[in-house]
Amino acid sequence: MAYYAEKNFFEDEQLIELVTSILSGNLTLEWYQAQGARVRARPADPRRGLTYEDCNLGPYGYDAIPELIRNRYSMAARGSVLVTKLPDLGYTVNRRSDVWSDNVVTLYEEAKSRRWAPAVDVPWTELAARADPVREAAMAQVCTFLEEVALVAMEMPSKWVFSINQEFLELKSFLCAQMIDEARHVEACRKRALASGQGLGRASASAEQALKELLSAETYPEASLGMNLLLGGFVVAMYRAIAALAGMRADRLLGTLAMQDVARSVAYGVGHMRYHLAHQPAKAVALGEYLDRTEHVVLGIAGSPEFLEPLVLLAAGSLDRERLAAGSRFARRWFRAALEEYFERAAAAGLGDRRERSRLPRLDS
Amino acid sequence: MSYLSTIDFTEDQAFVDRFQRTMRGDLELSWMDVPRERVACRPENARRGLTFRDLDVGAYGFTEMPELIRENRSFAPRGAAMPEGLPDLQAEVSRKSEVWAYNIEGYYEEAMTRQWNATTDIPWAELQSVDLPEDIGKAYAQLLTFLTEVEMIATDVPAKWMGRLNADFFEVKNFIATQAMDEARHAEIFRKRALSTGWGLMRASAQNEFNLKFLRDADSFAEASLALHLQAEGMVLTLFRFSEYISPTEGDKKLFRLVMQDEARHVGYGMQHLKWVLDHFPERREAIHHHLDEAENFVFGGGYATEVLEPFIILSGKGLKKENIAEGVRITNAFQLKQTDEYFERLAKCGLPERRERSRLWKMVEMRKQTMPA
Repeated sequence: MAYYAEKNFFEDEQLIELVTSILSGNLTLEWYQAQGARVRARPADPRRGLTYEDCNLGPYGYDAIPELIRNRYSMAARGSVLVTKLPDLGYTVNRRSDVWSDNVVTLYEEAKSRRWAPAVDVPWTELAARADPVREAAMAQVCTFLEEVALVAMEMPSKWVFSINQEFLELKSFLCAQMIDEARHVEACRKRALASGQGLGRASASAEQALKELLSAETYPEASLGMNLLLGGFVVAMYRAIAALAGMRADRLLGTLAMQDVARSVAYGVGHMRYHLAHQPAKAVALGEYLDRTEHVVLGIAGSPEFLEPLVLLAAGSLDRERLAAGSRFARRWFRAALEEYFERAAAAGLGDRRERSRLPRLDS
Repeated sequence: MSYLSTIDFTEDQAFVDRFQRTMRGDLELSWMDVPRERVACRPENARRGLTFRDLDVGAYGFTEMPELIRENRSFAPRGAAMPEGLPDLQAEVSRKSEVWAYNIEGYYEEAMTRQWNATTDIPWAELQSVDLPEDIGKAYAQLLTFLTEVEMIATDVPAKWMGRLNADFFEVKNFIATQAMDEARHAEIFRKRALSTGWGLMRASAQNEFNLKFLRDADSFAEASLALHLQAEGMVLTLFRFSEYISPTEGDKKLFRLVMQDEARHVGYGMQHLKWVLDHFPERREAIHHHLDEAENFVFGGGYATEVLEPFIILSGKGLKKENIAEGVRITNAFQLKQTDEYFERLAKCGLPERRERSRLWKMVEMRKQTMPA
């Protein structure tokens, strides 16, 4: 173990005296006068319950978080009365605009209210009637691929949450919601693949190389830009395609419910970049360069044979040559639309028009 | 950049060519031919839906997972075909018995179906109509401040380990994700309740924060889980149960019932994990005792946290008058004894019955029992 108590408390006479005295009825009540600001949070709309927005009050509120957290490295609740000797818990992300987004509080509340459980919210028994082995093989392969992606998307927030200052409670809570969202996608996609009669398909070396590059981002803003805004947008498009191409309610539900979750990550990604660049405009250059060298991962992921071919097949519905041609037209439209949405989001986030600068449009020729 | 893909995909002509061929309908379909176990998993119980237990089949399942994961170092889903070129994700924990727990799949499924919402599942409007007297209000706000402060440690610690576990242990990773969300919700509900009492937040607790740091800095997942899930959360579970009992309103009792349900799951994982470790990795036993020696030292040092002990006495006795304090002390004594009894009982059930004899905490509790009035 790496951290020990400052003393052996079992040998601490002072402690034993203190506890004995309190348990004899002699309370110190030192804490009794240590009162923070007196507030009374109330639900603005009782139908919505008590939201974090309702608790955005005075020194307790997220509006009161300064840009730089210089003097709070413990887990003391924001706004509580600090005492001396609070330990340093080792946070390394202490700048508000490195993590914050104006929509993060709303997105956290939404994540909770739109929760779903794959075990029971997808009508699995419907699958029993499904008997098209080509379609099922394609679906099993897409779901193997999406399980792989979700495993990485679950790890990204988990990797950072530990290092982010506790003052950013609402943001950290949103990262937790992202983790459970992605756990749900791991689960739903694995279950769908193993219910197909085909078993799991093949892992994707190109996608994993690309995902590892995204996961290894050195700063949180880069990680969020890569995972939420860049990859997230394409994953939303993937789930949207599954829903659009679904031949039954189970797949449509899986696609739309998962899409709804990932859309929150994308919304956070855009909001976060906007906030980040509004407060640190000089970072636009570095982040633009990050995208210059990182955008290629989209091709490694969305263009991997383990995703793109089954997508064509799902759209085609059969291995017939003409149907495959139609399926490939769908895939081209799909890629073009996802790419265009990405450029729109990047521009909305303050990263400028990347259409000219990016290497990705060249692929669509 | 700390890692760059072995290929820049937009510059790799072979990859681009293949992408463009696919976009013209020229498919290779090699993924369709990979040898695989073809299964069609179905819900064993339709009301429960399709669970991870229903997926426990052959190489896809967790039962056949080996003790040492030697092959998969990537994010390849367990049982999927693994092509050349998968990256090594540098998992630090690839031994099953360092992370596994009996019934892990059940804990995960339960967590997913029992998610609740702190914003809407508490009768906040009803709570607004209750004005707590100063002594109760402040004591309650102080207890809630403490709970707000400590809850997120149980997010940060497991989250820190998630990325270090081999991807084959995805049921454990998924469970960690549910726990992270549970704890975020707990921090949220205690904060919201503190801010709705009319008193706001009170004083932070240095003594408890030292304990949090100890939990953060554990050397292994097994040690982190032991101190976090079994010891700390086990003690907090007893605290929640008593807090429900001493809560000032019905709405507050509901609050504690909801958090208790989550906490019990985390403790359940901790117990079943320790049991698994002792059954499959017995040489860990001594290291576990060493870790508990220090964990219990922190627990005993928690006596300095008057900002937890004293509000509890006031809430238990329902006030600050002498007779209230006397009653509060009586209940608090019972609570503390119950808390430590349950802790040692859990350890014994997991296969560590000798802990009582070895523990200084147990000896101190025994001494205290002797000095207490019958």
